[in-house]
Amino acid sequence: MTTAVQPAGGGGAAGHPSSSGLAADPDTILDKGLVIDAYVRVSLVGIELLTIDARVVVASVDTYLRFAEAVNRLELSDTEKQGLPDLIEDVQSGGAKSKTKGALEAAGDKVRDVLGDGQERQPADDRREDDRR
Amino acid sequence: MGDPPGQVSIVRVGDIAALVSEVATDRPLGEPADLDAHANILDTTAAEMPVLPMRFGAVVESRDAVAEELLREHHDEFTAALRELNGKAEYVVKGRYRQDVILREVLAESDDAAQLREAVATKPDEAARNDRIALGELVYNGIAAKRAADTERMVSELESLGVKIAALDPTHDEDAVHVACLANRSAQSELENTVGRLADEWDGRVSLRLLGPLAPYEFVVTAGQE
Repeated sequence: MTTAVQPAGGGGAAGHPSSSGLAADPDTILDKGLVIDAYVRVSLVGIELLTIDARVVVASVDTYLRFAEAVNRLELSDTEKQGLPDLIEDVQSGGAKSKTKGALEAAGDKVRDVLGDGQERQPADDRREDDRR
Repeated sequence: MGDPPGQVSIVRVGDIAALVSEVATDRPLGEPADLDAHANILDTTAAEMPVLPMRFGAVVESRDAVAEELLREHHDEFTAALRELNGKAEYVVKGRYRQDVILREVLAESDDAAQLREAVATKPDEAARNDRIALGELVYNGIAAKRAADTERMVSELESLGVKIAALDPTHDEDAVHVACLANRSAQSELENTVGRLADEWDGRVSLRLLGPLAPYEFVVTAGQE
């Protein structure tokens, strides 16, 4: 066995991804580091207790719908900038409710951005359900 | 590790040493605090001297086993790897797109987007579902293309510093870059300047973070491990 100092995964260039490594993101450290024959016997006990939300980015319909929703929010915030006449028109056509939601969601996103977590999916999905009604 | 935390002690063999602590066998190992402790010790050490990170959760039977099975058995290869790491540490560059900015960028560059947005806006909710999915997919793929381009840019900037680089998987749909590099600690300010230049250039578009010095998690592999 040799211990080599090289990028895990063997590649140095973009397009040869392995996973990542930093204390803030547990999934990045968990499967990193040297594995030595000797401690196969006793080692790696109980790691399953750390339930890791392995945030592998996998495209899905849900992901796409979330982005479509984000585009929709973008339009709502653009509309808001157009000023009062548009606002009145929207109230008349029943658009005010969703506009308020859009603003609230945008504020929520900011808070989450500051917090830096990636857990926003669930609430976003809930709101989408509401919007349909 | 553990609660109360075990004391970290040193097991020496020849030129190398292992940082170890005892773990209680009557409690589960592998809680978040344990991982934090593991990373803290490694990163703190990496800031001072070369260190080889062992995989989290690695346990051997006794101090003697650490000395014999780990250190003595692998003494020469560990020494060689540590020599290679001398003066170096890992740094990770992480960037996240600002959602509204990247969405506008992607939408503006696609002819199909306007058509799909129109369809989504005019059709009733249920009828527009497929259009919403198509629009979302277009945006998703657009961001992925931006990520690839911006990552390539970051990698080429870092390469100009002569550091070893590992491109890492994105951890979020809106990640812009996620790259690790193995750099000389003495050249950290150059690294900061380079990343800082890109941070300025991407100001308002990508929020960039440079993390480190860290233990070289991405740059040690056991042969045959992959």
